[in-house]
Amino acid sequence: MIVCSRCSKDNQDHYKFCLGCGAELPRQSLEPRSLSTPNPGGERTTNAPPARAAASGALASAPQIEIDPAPIEATRPEPIAMADPLPPELAPLSDETSPCSHCGAQVPENFRFCHVCGHDLDADGAPDGGAAVPEERVSAPAVAEAPEGATQRARLVLIQPDGSEGDSFPLGAGRTLIGRSTGGIFASDAYLSPEHAEFRFEDNQLVVKDMESLNGVYIRIDPEFPIELFDGSVFRVGQEILRFDAPSAPDPGADGTQYAGSPHRGFVGRISLVIGRDATGNSYPIPPHGIHLGRERGDVLFPEDGYVSGLHCRIHSEVGHVFLTDVGSSNGTFVRVSNESFVPQGTFVLMGQQLFRAEY
Amino acid sequence: MEQARNYVCTECASAVPSGHKFCGACGGPVPAEAQTLETQFFGALQMPGKARLIVVRGDEAMGEGLSYLLQATEHVAGRDADQIPFPSDNWLSPTHANFLYRGEKLVVRDEGSLNGVYIRLRGSSPIQIGDHFMCGQHLFRVDATPKDSSGPEPDQTYFYSSPRRPSAFRVTQVLEGGMDGIVCCALEQTVEIGREDCDINFPDDVYLSPRHAKVEMTGESLKLIDENSQNGTYVRIRGERELGHGDYLFLGRNLVRVEVTA
Repeated sequence: MIVCSRCSKDNQDHYKFCLGCGAELPRQSLEPRSLSTPNPGGERTTNAPPARAAASGALASAPQIEIDPAPIEATRPEPIAMADPLPPELAPLSDETSPCSHCGAQVPENFRFCHVCGHDLDADGAPDGGAAVPEERVSAPAVAEAPEGATQRARLVLIQPDGSEGDSFPLGAGRTLIGRSTGGIFASDAYLSPEHAEFRFEDNQLVVKDMESLNGVYIRIDPEFPIELFDGSVFRVGQEILRFDAPSAPDPGADGTQYAGSPHRGFVGRISLVIGRDATGNSYPIPPHGIHLGRERGDVLFPEDGYVSGLHCRIHSEVGHVFLTDVGSSNGTFVRVSNESFVPQGTFVLMGQQLFRAEY
Repeated sequence: MEQARNYVCTECASAVPSGHKFCGACGGPVPAEAQTLETQFFGALQMPGKARLIVVRGDEAMGEGLSYLLQATEHVAGRDADQIPFPSDNWLSPTHANFLYRGEKLVVRDEGSLNGVYIRLRGSSPIQIGDHFMCGQHLFRVDATPKDSSGPEPDQTYFYSSPRRPSAFRVTQVLEGGMDGIVCCALEQTVEIGREDCDINFPDDVYLSPRHAKVEMTGESLKLIDENSQNGTYVRIRGERELGHGDYLFLGRNLVRVEVTA
C-alpha cells in the first residue's frame, strides 16, 4: 500500500498515479509488479499461450461482445484489467496459422476474421455460435411510477472500492445539501467543496443541483444510450476527465487571407484531457464519423488507466449534434452535471472521490 | 563519315586534344574559349550571379513550373504582388514575402504575413516554443507545457484532474481556419510525427513518410529533426533567412524552388 503524500489516499502498490488526486506516486513502488501492458520479452511469451487457448475456446463457443476482464459492475474495482491476459483480439500475433477457407491466406490462429479478405472464420468452425450474452447491467428502470412515500426511503448508497455497499446517506423530502461542511461520510473528502451539491424531489423524481462546486457532480450514463455533448461538456472515463469543445476558429484577417493549416476534415469538435483548472493535455479533433475511446481499442487510447475498458465509449455526430455513448464499459462513462439533472432510481452518482447509487 | 572528336586547328585543320593551348602540328594558337570548356548551367548564360524561383507546386491558375528571374534588388511575392503574384491562393497575404539581395546573398524576408514562409529543413534545426513547422499536409506548433493549475482552493478543496505525467513541451496540430487539432504532450523527450507508429499518426496521409520528423529536447533546447522523409519537413522562418541553391520554400500552398547560379 502506498499512501499518497498529497491527499493521503491509500493506493495499491502497482499504481503509478494516486487514485484519489492523480498525483504521481513514488516510482520504486512500481518495481515489484509492473502495470504496463505490452511488455516486451518474458511476460509477452507467458501471455501468449493462454491467450491463444482462450481464442480457440472463443471460436468454438459463444463469442463474447464484452471482452473486458474487469468483472465488477459499476464500481471502482481494482484495476485488475491490466494484469489479466489480453483478450484474444489483442493477443500478440499467433505464430500458428491456418488457411482461410475463402481466400486461402495464412491467417494467425487467434484471428476471428481473415486479414486478407475479411472472411468471418467463426462461420466455418461454429456455424451457430449462439448469440452473444452481454453481461447483465444495472440499468436505470423507468421512474414514472415511483411509489408514494419514495422520498421517505430515498438515500445515497456509498459504493466501496471493492464493489460492496457501504454507508447510506438519507435524503429528506425537502432539499438536502451535501458537501464537506455537512459532515458524515462527506467530511473527509478533500475533493468535495464545502457545499457541493443539493438533492431534492420534483414530481417524485430525484434532482441533483451542482452548487458551483469545484469538481462537479457526475452521473453515469446508460450504456448504448447516446447523450448530447455541448461546448464545454465534461465527462469522465476511468480516472480521466475529458472536455468536449465545439469547433472554434480565430477571425481571419480583414484582407481576406485565411489561416493555413492541416486539412480540416469537417471536424465536429475536439476532446481534451483536463489536467488543471484551465489547463488541458492531449487533445484530439473528432471527425464526422466519430471516434472510439478505450484502453486498448479505439482511436484514442488510455493504456495506463486500468479503470478504462478495452473499448469504452464513442463520440459521434448526427445531424449537426455531437453525442457520447458508453459502449458497454465495465466502470461506466460519467457526465458532469451542468447545473441540474434528474437522477433516475438506481443511477450512479460520482461526487468527490466517492461513488453513490441513488435509491428511492 | 564521322565528326572530328576534338577541336580542329583553324590554321592546319589538325585535331587538337583538349587542354592544349597551341596546335601541335602548326603551332597555331587555340582560342581561350576553346581551352576552358566547363559545363555551365543554362540560367547562368542569361543572368550570371542572379537567382530564380521556380514554382514546383502551385494551383492551376498560377501555372506550375512558372519561374521568376530575380534580377532586381527586391522582389515582392503575395496575393496582390506585382512581381511574384499568387492571386488565387488565399493562404498568402497581399504582401507576403520579399526576395532581396544583401550583397551577393539572396535572402527571403517575411513581410509580416499571416501564414508565414516555410523553408525545407536540411537535416535538423534548432526550434523554439511558438515555432511552426510542416510535415506532409500538416501544420504544427511547438508549445510550452502550461503551468500546473491544480492546487487546492482557498477553502482547501482539491482539484480533481486526470492523471498527469511530466512533460517538457507539446506539439499542437493547427487546422486550416486556425483551430487547434491534435495536441500531443511529450513523454520522454520527443514527439514523433509520421504515418504510423509515431506519437502523432496520420495513417491516411500519402505525403507523410512512415516516420517523418520529430521534435526532440536535449537539456533545455529543442530541435526539429527530419527523419529523411521523402517530402521533407518545413520550418517557418523568423524574419529573414538566407537562401541557397536548391532550397525549397512554401508560400501558402505554393512550393517554390530556389536556384542560385553564382
